[in-house]
Amino acid sequence: MGDEQIMQEVRAGNVGKLELLFDRHHRPLFRYFLHLTGNRALSEDLVQEVFFRILKYRHTYQADTTFRAWLYQIGRNACLDQVGKRKGEVAMPEDAVDFSSSDTLPDRQFQNKQETALLHRALAAMPREKREVLVMSRFLDLKYDEIAAILKCEVGTVKVRVYRALRELGDRFFALGGERAS
Amino acid sequence: MICDRMREQIPECLAGRLDATTREKLIDHLDTCSACRAEMAELGVVWRGFESMSEPEPSPAVRTRFLETLNAYQEGYHEAQRRQAYAVPQKSWWTGLWARPAWQAAFSAALLLAGGMAGRYVVGERAARNPEMAQLQAQVENLRQLVTLSLLQEQSPSSRLRGVTYSYQVTEADPQVEQELLHTVNHDSNVNVRLSAVEAIASKFAKNPQVRRALVDSIPVQDSALVQMALIDLLAQLNDKEAIPALRKLVQEKDTDEEVRQRAASALQKLETTK
Repeated sequence: MGDEQIMQEVRAGNVGKLELLFDRHHRPLFRYFLHLTGNRALSEDLVQEVFFRILKYRHTYQADTTFRAWLYQIGRNACLDQVGKRKGEVAMPEDAVDFSSSDTLPDRQFQNKQETALLHRALAAMPREKREVLVMSRFLDLKYDEIAAILKCEVGTVKVRVYRALRELGDRFFALGGERAS
Repeated sequence: MICDRMREQIPECLAGRLDATTREKLIDHLDTCSACRAEMAELGVVWRGFESMSEPEPSPAVRTRFLETLNAYQEGYHEAQRRQAYAVPQKSWWTGLWARPAWQAAFSAALLLAGGMAGRYVVGERAARNPEMAQLQAQVENLRQLVTLSLLQEQSPSSRLRGVTYSYQVTEADPQVEQELLHTVNHDSNVNVRLSAVEAIASKFAKNPQVRRALVDSIPVQDSALVQMALIDLLAQLNDKEAIPALRKLVQEKDTDEEVRQRAASALQKLETTK
């Protein structure tokens, strides 16, 4: 059963079905928050908050929006509310602890691991809006029309924003690599 | 210019989401443009660089907490749905609430949620307990508001009536519940639901001057004399002097229901003679 159909049932009062949607989406939602805040505990709280808001505002769900777009609209607002409240308390760490593999890797894979860590550092250092659009496109696999619905802008604008954000990430990554080599 | 447009397609191409026609156009362009080819190669390194990045998992407690909240919500919601609609309490409503299934359901739900939340927080440092308890209380309060708002938006009048009754469980004067109750007073199609909403507002929200103004504004838009009289009585009880012009107008207007006119005149006299 599709997400939208399940959400229609939740909206109609069969709220137990929300568990299915939670199981499908809470992990990527958590990673979205982790990319935005760099804080595990806060990201977990935000996941709770989003599904609480879904319960609260289930009557407002419109079938013409994909569930994912609606979910991340709520997530985005919840994150802005929380980060706004904790202004100055949430710092985006530039290390890649949460996203680096914890496995012990053979030497030949060491460089790859280092590069991934650098890439994450470069991503973490980007302005929030650019980081967010990249995370949506690269990690959440959201389509441009879904991102446009979340950010409330045109699809063409999303296309330009994602490209520019990826370009900036590349510049930062290669600059960090240069620093490391020297 | 054409290079700009082509480069904007690169992320979608790397994600494998370009349609066949656009993809072919991009490939044709890359065959003839070395600068865009270099751009594609460079951004490809960045895009694919994330492939070996691990995907962090939330702790299992996240799912447990969610299920506790969902179960607590369902329990409170369904109990409130099942029980018979109760008359809105008049004088000793607080005493009556403790004997009511809705309150018991809400209390059980709140306890269940509190238990779940406490499980997460109980291991925290002693010094950090107070903020955590405040957070816990806020979650329980949110749950009560959630059940109230959900019931108020139901299709059937009996459910909405339960929602109005359930609003008494919300300990804080929550603005969202306040607005929903005012909306119910003005727009609900059922007179009983509107009357109950007036009582609910009187119990918790009437201190707010904006709410009192909204109640005054509501009198002329009501199509039920019963609701109009309930509003007049409430404003007289609150000794709201700002209601005087609206009441005077009501007394003078020809179309006013006779019973409403008498009630308005009586309220007017009270408001004009008391300090």
